[in-house]
Amino acid sequence: MSHGATDPTMHPEVQLSTSKGYFLGFAISIALMLLATALVTSHSVPPFGLLMVITVCAGIAVIAQIYFLLHIDISEHNIWNTVALVLFIPLFLITIGLTWWMFSQLYLRTMDMSVMSSVTNPAVHAPATPKLSDMSGMNKNPDSGN
Amino acid sequence: MSAHASTVDPKKAELWDIHHHSHDVISTRTLGYFLYLLSDGMLFATLFAAYGVLSYQHSYFGGPTPAEFVKPWYTFGQTIALFLSVLAYGFGMNALKHKSKSGLINGMLAAFVLGVIFLVLDIHDMSHLYSMGITLASSGGMSAFMVLTQVHATHIFFGLIWILVMIAQVMTKGFTEETVGRLLTLRMFWHLQAVIWVFVYIFVYLWGYIS
Repeated sequence: MSHGATDPTMHPEVQLSTSKGYFLGFAISIALMLLATALVTSHSVPPFGLLMVITVCAGIAVIAQIYFLLHIDISEHNIWNTVALVLFIPLFLITIGLTWWMFSQLYLRTMDMSVMSSVTNPAVHAPATPKLSDMSGMNKNPDSGN
Repeated sequence: MSAHASTVDPKKAELWDIHHHSHDVISTRTLGYFLYLLSDGMLFATLFAAYGVLSYQHSYFGGPTPAEFVKPWYTFGQTIALFLSVLAYGFGMNALKHKSKSGLINGMLAAFVLGVIFLVLDIHDMSHLYSMGITLASSGGMSAFMVLTQVHATHIFFGLIWILVMIAQVMTKGFTEETVGRLLTLRMFWHLQAVIWVFVYIFVYLWGYIS
């Protein structure tokens, strides 16, 4: 005991641990990842619908982990963590969203149309990208994707 | 005012609180560390943004795309290892709540072993790509894919070292304000890796596999 006055294991941030909470955080997120993996490998849902479904899976899993593992709630000892996280989320989304938007606009205006078909619709097999058939070790057919 | 002036002797009145109030050192440190972790989250935001703009078909320069080499069930194995590691660390922290040193160390050892399994699976995956001739230099898309996934793996690597250090500190120093505070910050760090992995797994591995 470095300061002698109090037992550090009695600190509220230690005492808020519960095995049940950690297990729930684990069980919910692993179940959602299992669901997402099964849906993706079964190819039973069209790509756009699949993206929506796995995005929802990710969202619920992250919320469960933030609540059960990081103890983000409005209790007295966690409120400032919660405030910081809530203010962080827009920064996170704006950084990714605006960067992606800017580059998608750039690609729209700088790529030729044969490339565009693959940009706007990844499902289209566009023979547009430069082929580097002599790239070392590339034994795969570049068009075999998608 | 006059009533107050008659009862308070200005020469003896305490105009400010001179008593010593101890800070809640642990809470101050955990909040500071949480803010640091959020800035770490911004690091991942830039890497996700880079992957977002470098995951168009032309980004792969005619070379392999994640759709060709990602094996969802293999990476799901990594997911299980990491989430179990996070769970084991949580159980260890629950033992700390009951002042059980052996319970804490067992939980941390299990978290360490499972974290090593995650890292070994990741390294095996990367060396498999390398053996197929897919490297960081194959294309912009591959650079973004590998940097993002391996920055996360680097976090796991340093977290594993931190777990070993904390096992040693708990064994030698016991439950002091310093060690307990560090165990709490390590819990935040380790549990946040699971949150970031959800994004990496869903939006890089699985979305890369289907697009």
